[in-house]
Amino acid sequence: MPRLNTFSILQAYRRDPLLPLLLRECRSVGSARNELHWLRQHALGSRRPDVSQIYKSLGDTRYGWRSQLKSMCRERSRGKPLQYILGNQPFGDLDILCRKDVLIPRSDTESYTLRAARLILKTFSTHGQHPSSHLRPLRVLDLCSGTGCIPLLLHALLAPHFKSMSIVGFDISAKALALANDNIMHNVRLGSLDERAIHEVRFYQGNILDRRFDQILESASQGLLQLAANNSSCTYDKSLKYDILISNPPYVSATSYRDGTTTRSVRRYEPKIALVPLMGHHDLLSTTDYKMEDTFYYPILLLAFKLEAKITVLECGDHEQADRIAYLCRKMARTKMNGVWHIQIWDCDWEDKDGKSSHSKIGSRAVILQRLLPNAVLD
Amino acid sequence: MTLWVCFRCIRSGRHFRGLPILIQRRAQSTTTNNGISSALLTRAQALTAEHSSLSHHLTESFDAKIAKRVGDLAPVVQAWTEWEKAKESISELNVLLDDPDTDAELRSLAIEDLESSNAQLQVVSDKLKQALIPRHPFAELPCLLEIRPGAGGEEAGLFASELLKMYTALSSRLGFRSTLLKLDTEEGQTEDRLTEAVLEIETDGAYDILRTESGVHRVQRVPATETKGRTHTSAVSVMILPSFPESGSDMDSALNFEDPNSDYYVNPQDVRTEKMRASGAGGQHVNKTESAIRLTHIPTGLVVSMQDSRSQHSNRKKAWQILRAKVASMRREAREQELVNLRRGAMGGVARMGRGDKVRTYNFGQNRCTDHRSGITVHNLGSVLDGGTGLEAIMDSVRSWLTDREIEDMIAEESAKELLKSQTNVDKKNS
Ligand SMILES: C[S@@+](CC[C@H](N)C(=O)[O-])C[C@H]1O[C@@H](n2cnc3c(N)ncnc32)[C@H](O)[C@@H]1O
Repeated sequence: MPRLNTFSILQAYRRDPLLPLLLRECRSVGSARNELHWLRQHALGSRRPDVSQIYKSLGDTRYGWRSQLKSMCRERSRGKPLQYILGNQPFGDLDILCRKDVLIPRSDTESYTLRAARLILKTFSTHGQHPSSHLRPLRVLDLCSGTGCIPLLLHALLAPHFKSMSIVGFDISAKALALANDNIMHNVRLGSLDERAIHEVRFYQGNILDRRFDQILESASQGLLQLAANNSSCTYDKSLKYDILISNPPYVSATSYRDGTTTRSVRRYEPKIALVPLMGHHDLLSTTDYKMEDTFYYPILLLAFKLEAKITVLECGDHEQADRIAYLCRKMARTKMNGVWHIQIWDCDWEDKDGKSSHSKIGSRAVILQRLLPNAVLD
Repeated sequence: MTLWVCFRCIRSGRHFRGLPILIQRRAQSTTTNNGISSALLTRAQALTAEHSSLSHHLTESFDAKIAKRVGDLAPVVQAWTEWEKAKESISELNVLLDDPDTDAELRSLAIEDLESSNAQLQVVSDKLKQALIPRHPFAELPCLLEIRPGAGGEEAGLFASELLKMYTALSSRLGFRSTLLKLDTEEGQTEDRLTEAVLEIETDGAYDILRTESGVHRVQRVPATETKGRTHTSAVSVMILPSFPESGSDMDSALNFEDPNSDYYVNPQDVRTEKMRASGAGGQHVNKTESAIRLTHIPTGLVVSMQDSRSQHSNRKKAWQILRAKVASMRREAREQELVNLRRGAMGGVARMGRGDKVRTYNFGQNRCTDHRSGITVHNLGSVLDGGTGLEAIMDSVRSWLTDREIEDMIAEESAKELLKSQTNVDKKNS
């Protein structure tokens, strides 16, 4: 973290005595001021910025808010993530609840999810018909679902275009599972998620690295499909197939977890199991160029082929990892299945407006594996 | 609550440099006919002709665009027809009265008729005027209200937040939905000073109602921090911008900002996006909260930055909304300026209120608020600042002032075109 000079800390102190506390985690005075603003709003009890806040700051405020604010700033100075202090994080138009022991959704993931939704819409609307006329539900599988942010945002974005959907999320952590389920109801209540999500999105507990994971997946999927069939007029076929497979699996290497690449706040407060693959995969341990941080991609890709996913989206830590995973895709595609495949790597700086943006070598990536259908589109 | 409106002040017009000249010129260049100038009549005739040729076209082949134009012109045609009829019956009655052979009984009937016909003509003239005044292109849209303190330091910032409260109160009183898109404040010793705010007023047509508010608002009072009791003057600029829906395809084609043929098209390629992003690793390695976005519209140099929301996605959406509004408003102003230049070329210079002009003064010492355009003064500052009836009275008087200006502009534009045409005719004859 860059050091701020004493002068700017003093300046910040003059603005607000609480700012220097926040400067320990924030990289600039600007972002510390923003955090103070959000924390203050939270302490004042208003979720959204509105004018009442101006009135409130005139003095007639809730008793004790200032001391609450002070203690929140202190927590923040010790590295506690703002999202855990405030208890939520916006994700697309959703409000995702955040709790200790479950990884906080990242804005990179938000960007890949928005872009994936667009690709899905393009892909499924080029068969000469509008996607909503599909009789069969759109099936989406999210592995390592954490808070549930990815499947819920996909549901919010795609529900208006598909008559019926069947979205399944898997995570090993019981806490993540409980939180993901809370997030469905929370967003339905806020009106940011259609009520359909209650029966169209399901979260299950399961270990992706487990040898029998496909059996666990199968029984879960059957249950949900039956449910979808009961709830809509959609025809339902029994085959274990998914249209979309998406995953943001743990991908941090043991080295970059330790050497400062991963920030103090992440290390101290977020669950390690969500970040660093802790056990290897049985099929891979013997191979020589095997990297532990790539552990999850192989079994996920095996599933992608088995489920005949048309689009697979995999978040990766950096461009090197993305290159390795893209190579793995290519190798597996050649041996696993006939067909035409399109593999691409998405940058974390994508803009949904196609506007100009700076491309950098740093930052995360996503690898996209697309099975080309007749007259398919490339994104 | 009592409301004192000083009618002597209304339309004194003295504060406004260009106005007396403008009125004078109008009196010289146009003959009036129940308030309908010859220029307005020419325009009504032209539009009626256009209507009939387009209607004819429609009987042969249907075109949605043409049909819409025909629909838009219908009220003008109707008012024009009624106006002609009223004129005709008046002149017939006059012929009757002028004729020495008309017998006494008929004459007295005719006199009665003439009275009612004249009254009728007045009604129809007003109707025609209404139909001929061009609607502002953004009139039907919701709007964004931007507030920025100008000169005057801390005082300006404080007054800016009072104006924000005023407009929020006004919106809720009028039953308009409003949300704060952007709020930048400086934490002050006692109160927050506003550095910039954008309020979105989501109700359709809000633009037309609030466009009276654009300009520089001046406050005169003794600040709380002033020890010697001196009155300070500070200024806050208010700008009313059109608010476009998220997707341009919901708009009719002239306003569709996604349509390259529209005047208000914003090409995404022309917009540079800058994110506040940390150098170093991203993704799972960090849980940063930086979400600020800055957009630059390269052709115009307009910059919008947004940092209020914790979500980059939402900051980007809001920044685009404001950028689109600013680009559209800038282009609209450029077009209006063209008209002014055209007019100036034909008829000599007339000053126009620009966004930099002082439009209103809030004087705390005298408990009054004066608008310098219409000249209205309300002697109850509270009823203005709480977004109440005082503010509405001011806005109403400014709106009719604006309408008068627009009619004058339109007439000036027509006569400028006439002049140009006759000049070209002369040129043609000469060559
Ligand atoms: C990087 S987080 C992603 C969470 C969420 N999808 C997101 O993008 O915010 C990885 C998730 O994988 C889960 N996980 C770790 N090992 C797993 C395993 N063997 N099987 C299934 N899930 C696992 C963790 O509990 C964590 O929630």
